[in-house]
Amino acid sequence: MTPSRLISGIVFVAFISALLLVKFYIDQKEFSSKYKEFTLTLTTLQSKELQLKHDLLQNVLLSYQSLDTLAKHTKELELLYKQASDTPILRQENYQEVNKELQELSRLLQIKLANVEDQLMFNAAIRNSLVFLTTQLQHLQLSSDETLHIYKKANKILKRFTNAVITQDLDYLSKEEVFLHSDSKEAKLQEFIQTFNLHAHYLVQNFPQFIITTKYILNDNLTDAIEELKALFKEKAIADSHALDLFALIIFTIFLFSVGLIILLALQYFKENKKLHQTKESLEYSLTHDLLTKLHNRKSFIDTILSLQKPHLLLINIDNFKNVNDIYGNEVGNKVLKMLAKLLKDFLYENIYVGVYRTGGDEFGILFESIDETQALQIAHQVEKLIAAHTFSVGHLDIEINVSIASNNIAPIMENADLALKWIKKDLTNRVIAFKDSLNLKKSVKENLKIIDTIKYAIADDRIIPYFQPIINLQSAKVEKYEALVRLQLKNGELLSPYHFLETLKKTSYYYEVTKIMLHKTIITAKRYPEYRFSLNISMDDILNNSIKTMIFEEIRLNFEKKPNLDIEILESEYIHDTTKVQEFIEKLHLLGVNVLLDDFGSGYSNFSYFSHLDIDLVKIDGSIVKEIGSDNRKYHMLQSIYDFSQGLELENIAEFVETKEIAHILRGVGVKYAQGYYFGAPAPTPLLDANVKL
Amino acid sequence: MVKLLFLILFIITYTNAKEPILPIPLQLSADLQKAKLGKMLFEDPLFSQDNSTSCLSCHNIYSGGADTKEVSSGFNNMQGDIHSPTVLNAVYNFRQFWNGRAADLKEQIDGPIHNKVEHNMDKTLIEQRLNSSALYKKEFSKIYHIQTIGYTHFVDALVAFEKTLTTPNAKFDRYLRGELQLEPKELEGYKLFKQYGCITCHNGINIGGNSFQKMGTFKEYKTARSYPDRSHVTHKISHKNVFKVPTLRNISLTAPYFHDASAKSLEEAVEKMSIFNLGIHLCKEEIDTIVVFLHTLEGETPAILEMQ
Repeated sequence: MTPSRLISGIVFVAFISALLLVKFYIDQKEFSSKYKEFTLTLTTLQSKELQLKHDLLQNVLLSYQSLDTLAKHTKELELLYKQASDTPILRQENYQEVNKELQELSRLLQIKLANVEDQLMFNAAIRNSLVFLTTQLQHLQLSSDETLHIYKKANKILKRFTNAVITQDLDYLSKEEVFLHSDSKEAKLQEFIQTFNLHAHYLVQNFPQFIITTKYILNDNLTDAIEELKALFKEKAIADSHALDLFALIIFTIFLFSVGLIILLALQYFKENKKLHQTKESLEYSLTHDLLTKLHNRKSFIDTILSLQKPHLLLINIDNFKNVNDIYGNEVGNKVLKMLAKLLKDFLYENIYVGVYRTGGDEFGILFESIDETQALQIAHQVEKLIAAHTFSVGHLDIEINVSIASNNIAPIMENADLALKWIKKDLTNRVIAFKDSLNLKKSVKENLKIIDTIKYAIADDRIIPYFQPIINLQSAKVEKYEALVRLQLKNGELLSPYHFLETLKKTSYYYEVTKIMLHKTIITAKRYPEYRFSLNISMDDILNNSIKTMIFEEIRLNFEKKPNLDIEILESEYIHDTTKVQEFIEKLHLLGVNVLLDDFGSGYSNFSYFSHLDIDLVKIDGSIVKEIGSDNRKYHMLQSIYDFSQGLELENIAEFVETKEIAHILRGVGVKYAQGYYFGAPAPTPLLDANVKL
Repeated sequence: MVKLLFLILFIITYTNAKEPILPIPLQLSADLQKAKLGKMLFEDPLFSQDNSTSCLSCHNIYSGGADTKEVSSGFNNMQGDIHSPTVLNAVYNFRQFWNGRAADLKEQIDGPIHNKVEHNMDKTLIEQRLNSSALYKKEFSKIYHIQTIGYTHFVDALVAFEKTLTTPNAKFDRYLRGELQLEPKELEGYKLFKQYGCITCHNGINIGGNSFQKMGTFKEYKTARSYPDRSHVTHKISHKNVFKVPTLRNISLTAPYFHDASAKSLEEAVEKMSIFNLGIHLCKEEIDTIVVFLHTLEGETPAILEMQ
């Protein structure tokens, strides 16, 4: 069962049980009112019956009495009984016993009412006779002793009758004589006695039934029967109500249970919902924030830029942040980044800006909306100075960093700022730059892409070609060596020198391919012209690249059966980080019989210390010196020094860029062994047929 | 215990004694509209099989409310089996009919309506006749807001009318209310009425009509034929000749008297009662005096009968 089904099931149960409870409440209320109604009817019946008794007794005792009240109460009793027997509750099966009792009650009531009817008749008769006799006695003229005697006796008898009425006791009549007798001849007296005896006889005759009916009415067990009926009804009703109560208890328990479950489920739901919400929030947070610095991240930055009308970005890059990580470790580096983020936020607190972002590892962005260019640059300078002046204290370490900042509001915002940053990194004197279209940086990207494309097709069409420039022995005036130079032939046959594509090429995977082609083709040429030595340029990076290194060794080993007429020129212009590896490379080349030339010495990072670590065979003197030895005395002395130094180490030199006869002569004068340049010959697809040159 | 109770009651009741006869109330709680409609029904012979007999035929409400004949004649001129009692003040009777077989006026109406020798009708026939009468349809719909008249509405209207048939302001009632003094002879008659025990059965608001008594309590009352007495209801032999005590209101107007209409005059009725029910012989003077009192029980004609 799915949770939602379970919940709706429970809710349904709760609802049904609530309905049942309401129904139970109504039923119970109805039941209780029915119960009260019936009990009240019975109680009223009881009280009316008591009133009837009271009426009857009053009627017994009073000479004159209106019977209206008694008739009224009789009627009421009949009505009440009807009302009781019509009670709807008695139609239920479990009240059959009560119904039976009620029928018995009806029987008793009928008997009682019949008795009342009869009693009234007997009572009337007896009372009338008593009243009449009393009146007669009062009218008796007491003319003689006999009359007086009779009068007294009659009085006594009447008293006895009256007592019998009051006490409802027949004993007053049975033991004593209630008739009069006189031997007197007095006619009036005899007439009185006759009437008296007639009525006395009538009274005696009627008295028993009068007393029986009265006693029955007063003593029948109707009241008890009603009481029993009430008790029975109560018992049944309680049983009934107990059953109902039990039912209600069960329903109520179910109700409570399901409500409890609902609450529990609801609580759980809310808890999970909250958890989910938190997870969602933290996910959202991590999606849009940098977890280290708590700044918004690059994604958030991109999203925000899209929503802005006139975005302006200050892109901040930490100069040489790699060094901080390398020297102090990532942990410290991270702390510095955090501190920098805080520094930026605190500084910008008062300024109007959209957000501060961490756009890259060591790169931060500050986004503005519709900010004045001058103001943006001003802020950029402030930020640059702030950071440069700040000391980042991590533990006991005090670290100082510099940043470069590019300001840009020209779309694509990020790319342009990035390009501007790259531009500024080349120039360490300025740390803040504003991107301008005139920087034309973006165009070079297009050009790069074009170049890459060109390289790609050149490789595919075998248009990577080595050109060979002769190297002349100044003493013998003969060509002894050739330097292989890479050329890219365009589809139209035009040749491109490396100046146009090498830098781009170095950043692509095609570099390996081009290097291999050059090596291979140079080897082929070298093998064809065994009288010359050929040299090929390899950069420091190539030496550190294992696959290129391996490729070089393999090519040389596989193509030459004897000592190869191939040399390797290492470009000195690049900084050599790991001399050990370079030395290993040189040693391996020496084992193969390959000489190593140090290229472009005297420019760039020219460092004499190389010679103490590297077994260099030959030093090429940079063209920037050679070109001007005729006109600049300092350059001449530099040449002289390099020559002397090389002589000291028993190294020969090659002078580059020899373009005039004059220079060639000076070089020969100094004693430089080899020279190359346009004066002797431009690079060509094949070596010259004639090795002799004119000096 | 019972004896003590009797004594206490004896004392209480005697100290609180009042007159056992009560005057007819002057205010009636009746629906006059229904009563007027009831009057139309009461006087209309439409509600007997042969259109011969109305209620009024046997209950002359304009004079005494009873029939002057020994027994009334109804449907097909057939004779009833008992002397018609008055309908005036019948509302105050504890039960209806001589033998009390109907509990109230509503139950009573069923009797004569269905009686073969009286109206000889049934429920459906009455409804038929009512509903085919434009006048009754109009009147009934006015009061009961109904389209079809039912038997219950017919009974209801009749009962409403009968409830208004009371005769207040009898001389004796006004005496009881202290509005006037009775003549000495009338007062003497009332005294005798009480002293000889007539009051025992003729008491209350209707001076009777609130208990059953045997005709011939003291001396057996014999009649040529049998009448539908109380034993017809209770099936007790002892209830032979037991009847509801009749009202004495307007008694001077409702001759002949008794269930068998055997007494043609009030004097004769008083004499017979004293012999058979009281076991005494009244002299003519006493009878006359009582009759004088009985005349004070004549009330006013019911107000409804004088309305237009």
